[in-house]
Amino acid sequence: MMKKVFGLLVSAFLVLGMMSTSAFADAAKGQKYYLKYMKDGSSMNGAKFATQHTQAEWKALFDGKGEKFIAEYSKKFPGLDAFLKGEKFQKFMPDIRDFCIEFASDSGNVPSC
Amino acid sequence: MKKLIAPLLIGAALSSAFGADDSLKQEIEALKVQMAELKNAQSKINIDALKSQISEIKAHDSGDNIKWTVDLRTAYDVVDYKMNGVQNQDNGIWTNKLILGMASQPADNLIFRGSLGAYKAFGQSNMATNGTMFQSFDWYGTQKPSDSTVKLREAYFIYTGDMGDMPYAASFGRRPSVDGFLANLRNDNESPASPISHNINMEFDGASFKFDMDKMTGISGMYLKLCLGRGFSETTGSYSMGATGFSPSYSEDNQTPDMDLAGLIWQIYDNGQYKVMANYFQAWNMMDINMVSMTDYHFSDVGDLTGGSLALQVNGIGDGISDFLDDSIFFLSYAYSKTDPNDNVIGSSAGPATGMLGSSDSETGSSIYTGVQVPGIMKGQRLGVEYNHGSKYWRSFTYGEDTLVGSKLAARGDAYELYYILPIVGKNLTAQLSYIYIDYDYTGSDTFFGWTGTPQDVDTTAGAVKTAQNIRASLRYRY
Repeated sequence: MMKKVFGLLVSAFLVLGMMSTSAFADAAKGQKYYLKYMKDGSSMNGAKFATQHTQAEWKALFDGKGEKFIAEYSKKFPGLDAFLKGEKFQKFMPDIRDFCIEFASDSGNVPSC
Repeated sequence: MKKLIAPLLIGAALSSAFGADDSLKQEIEALKVQMAELKNAQSKINIDALKSQISEIKAHDSGDNIKWTVDLRTAYDVVDYKMNGVQNQDNGIWTNKLILGMASQPADNLIFRGSLGAYKAFGQSNMATNGTMFQSFDWYGTQKPSDSTVKLREAYFIYTGDMGDMPYAASFGRRPSVDGFLANLRNDNESPASPISHNINMEFDGASFKFDMDKMTGISGMYLKLCLGRGFSETTGSYSMGATGFSPSYSEDNQTPDMDLAGLIWQIYDNGQYKVMANYFQAWNMMDINMVSMTDYHFSDVGDLTGGSLALQVNGIGDGISDFLDDSIFFLSYAYSKTDPNDNVIGSSAGPATGMLGSSDSETGSSIYTGVQVPGIMKGQRLGVEYNHGSKYWRSFTYGEDTLVGSKLAARGDAYELYYILPIVGKNLTAQLSYIYIDYDYTGSDTFFGWTGTPQDVDTTAGAVKTAQNIRASLRYRY
């Protein structure tokens, strides 16, 4: 009986795997990329960085290929210039965008410290 | 007659058409005036100011209210034990686990976080009285299936400030001390709780003081956190009875010890990819069951315990070698424990006993824990493999580990785990399949600190669990 139940559950698991929607950009990954590539250049932790703008403002800044974000933050933090204008930023931008939106000043999310 | 009617009708139609033309003109003029007024009014509306107002309202409301989160898991667990000289045991158990998270931030430097949990077996409400006195223990109240009672899992505030270049945080309350660093991977939790889960993973009350030292030292992510906790309180309850009648409420019971812990968590380095963490703790008045008689038993102090761990996590292997390696996580951790027994004589099932873990000498145990988590077959899916090994006298505080066969990290022997996580509706609905196999060398790895923790060879001890398996299939809703 137990083996039958478990067999059914495994089958359901495999079916779910085929039906599942693909994941979108990932705020946790965005936080990782922020720590790795942007924290030193901006001299502030991720929670503080993300609260610089509202959700709507981040969305507008990251529109298209993030030209407005690149322009603003290259100027604000010259240490970020090379990263923001490089290939890696374009690759990681959706995750970094999600991270900024997730912890924006009007997000209502409470940092855990 | 028809000749007369036709011109009359045409005349009437024309005159009404001319009349309509006039009124239309008037209406158009009126509309023009209205349009001009609207345009004028619209030009006075400041869209940016409105946007700013909406943001302020959103930020204000989020600070004014408790933000709730929901984490609900339905699981089917198979537990299976191979025992020495006794018939093997296995069972299938359905459970529901609900964690209600809450947070608020009334001011920039003040944060509250908490969570309530209920974790129950299907259709069972008498588990706490069903042959065990340990089911409702405070160390794992929301981490072991029981009944539908909602229990306090976390409740603490954080006050933050700056001492020159060093930001600090002080916090009091019931701690975020389960599913910590490293265990968060197998538990599919993005943000680890406070401790290193290799040697500390249980619920307790206390305080913490964190000092961010990265700016001061120039070392990325460095911080030091002092943690204080009480794992057991020596006190009677209200209206408790003694030999002479009612005892004063909440006075010392002169039996159970106050079990205290002080620890240091040191994040040595964290640059997003490489993270090195260490901890060291001293725990006082560790306890075990003192069997005065078959009907009179309570907890007594058997000695102190020290321990520590050092853990490395690599989040993204290499740098741009491949997407697969960029998205893979590897970790390696070492931990140890050392007993310091006192001379107290307590009763055991075999008569009077002294010492800790069955020994009157100071005993040192150690454990290694390693694992890797890589991307699965389809986007967003994750595959994890873990291994740990504990020595004869290894002792951890991992009672709150979310494994039905008992803590795999406490094992004195080898433990293996394989798990697969797949998102169904993004991260809001996920499924997980996991398999744990524990091959014990010695018994007593997940009990108390005196005689019940005595390591006994599982091959020569009758009734000892030689191997344990735990298979879990689960669905989890989070928002």
